[in-house]
Order: sequence, then C-alpha cells, then structure tokens
Amino acid sequence: MIEQIKAAFPNAENKDFDGNRLDITVNKETIPSVLLYAKDKMGFRHLSHIAYVDWIEEGEFELVYLLWSPVDKVKLFIHTRIDRENPVMENIDMIWRQANTYEREIKEMLGIEFPGLVAPDEFILEDWEDLPPFRRDFDTLEYVNRTFWHRPGREDAQDVRETIAERSGEEIPDFAQKYSR
Amino acid sequence: MYNDKNSQKIVDIIQNWARKHSIWVLAYGTGCGAIEIAPTMTSRYDAERLGIRGAATPRQADVLLVTGYLTVKTVKRVVRVYEQMQSPKYIIGFGSCTINGGMYYDSYNTINLLDKYIPVDVYINGCMPRPEAVIQGFVKLQQLIAEGKANGAQKYLDNLAEYKANQAKIAPHWIAKAPDYNW
Repeated sequence: MIEQIKAAFPNAENKDFDGNRLDITVNKETIPSVLLYAKDKMGFRHLSHIAYVDWIEEGEFELVYLLWSPVDKVKLFIHTRIDRENPVMENIDMIWRQANTYEREIKEMLGIEFPGLVAPDEFILEDWEDLPPFRRDFDTLEYVNRTFWHRPGREDAQDVRETIAERSGEEIPDFAQKYSR
Repeated sequence: MYNDKNSQKIVDIIQNWARKHSIWVLAYGTGCGAIEIAPTMTSRYDAERLGIRGAATPRQADVLLVTGYLTVKTVKRVVRVYEQMQSPKYIIGFGSCTINGGMYYDSYNTINLLDKYIPVDVYINGCMPRPEAVIQGFVKLQQLIAEGKANGAQKYLDNLAEYKANQAKIAPHWIAKAPDYNW
C-alpha cells in the first residue's frame, strides 16, 4: 500500500515511526482531485479531520487533510498551503459530509472562505465581529482587556518566595530556585 | 429599597424567615463546578436538611447557582434563565471563574466578572469549592436573606440600563433581538 502511494505521489514522505503514516504536499488547486483519487482508488474512505496551521511568517495558511484507510490501516496526511492575504479554499463537503463541520470551524476560527459551503452561518462563535481568534496576529489578552474586566487584586499573584525567605531568614533551596514563576 | 434589619417590617421578617428555609436551587451546571453539586445534594453532605433542594425549571427556582466559567454563549443563556425566574431570586457565583475569570482570565470567549452581567448575591471561593464550602455559601445566603440584604433582583431592576449595556458589549446582536425585561 505504501509503495502504491509513493508511486502515485513521488513527493510522499514517511514521517512516522511505525510506518503507517504518509505525508504528501500538493497544490491547493489539485486538492479535490487528489482527495477523490485517494478515496476512490486507494481506499482512504474516512476523513478524520482537517487540521489548520497559521504560518504567519511565511504569509500562508496550511490545511492538512487527515485521511484513514480502514482496510490497509494507513494514514495519509495531505498538506496544502494557501495565501494568507486572500484565503479561499475549495469546498470538499460533497466528497465527505463531515468536511462541512470542519470547514465551518475553519471559516470561523481562521477566516478562510469556502465558496459554496452549505450553512455558512455562525457556528461556535456568536456575535463575533473581531479578527478570527485562531489567527496568530489576534492578540487575546488585548482583546480581553478591551472586552471584559479584570477584578482588582489579581496583581497579588506574584512570586512571594523572596519576601518569605527574607522574613524568615531562611534561604530558598536549590530545587525551588529553578521553578521560577 | 435596599432594606436592612432596622428598616424591615415585621411582615418582611416573617417572609424572609420562610424564604431562607426553602431555597429551591436551579443549578446552571456550566464548567467543572457541577461535579460538586452531586455530593452536596446526595447523602454524604445532604443539603436538603438545610432546605436546599433542586428545582426543575427557572420559574420554580429561588437561587440560580452558576457553577464555573461562562463563555459568551452561555452567559446569554444565564441571563435569559435569570430573567425568567420569579422574585424572590438570588444568584450564587461558584468557583473562582465567576469571581475573576480564574484560570481562563485571558481567554477570548469566557467572561471574567459575572457580576457585571447579572447581580450576584454570594460568591463561593475555590477552584473547585468543596461541598462544605458550598453549604457554607448557602448558609451565608440564608443569613443575608434573613437580614434582608440579598437584594440582587432589586439591584438588577434599578441598574437595568447598565447591566444591559454590559451584556450588549459582548453580545450586541443578541441584545438587539432579546425581549424587554419589563414585559
């Protein structure tokens, strides 16, 4: 099975220790045909997940389609990169129905558009008007400071060991020194 | 209208005495705190000997027990539940997440201060509070009821505009569609 995949996708690489996982990288345009080929010809009947990574330094998003073949017990991870400025990706929920859920999540959390996605209304976040929260340039603490309140007194949660050591006249033991807060 | 013991009428004293001995609790089991409700209510700690019982619906409940962190989504439901409850009604905030956000203080979708959105009468400290602490919180609430100091519902009515503004800050579209509290 592994050889068959390697013959079909020459850039497939085996990153796993137990040898049942293969990673391939393809263009974003070829994703639907690659997925269909993997599903129909190779027996990867199950789409486990669509994982997403924000490569902010390279100006790209990465989507990883995790496929599983229940017959051959092989995992196939299909990586693709899309532009961060204008993130549009082909909708694949006609191939696997469960892709709809993942794509709605990605649309909300990362802001990638999937043209033709059914039920494109809000999914997890409600009343969200800010940047998609799983983008790395979304500053969570800044958003919290702007939206919610902090109760005074939290700044007490400081490292008090020095004060206690001074007061009691004892030294902080070595094993405690390395656990700084 | 914030009455205390000196300005309570004799009717209020009798009313409050009766109220404090029949606390029907609507446990809004969000977060991890709901796990402490079961031992509190069952035979080990048996909160029913203090008159604390579970209520089936918001309209039959006296106390709303908010047990843990609230996301922006759940805080809307809590507000809706609270507005459905009939007076007299009280709120107990349970665990550090309702007090100051707890370990989720920097999360984009959990609120930090519950009393900005609904009036909290008693906070129970801890992460999580043990059943003893929960019962201590209920006893404290009973004291406040007897002294006529548990005035959260009145506070909510008096400062309705402020509470609604705070709720609208996190859920603008929902507030625009929500029914008026004074229906």
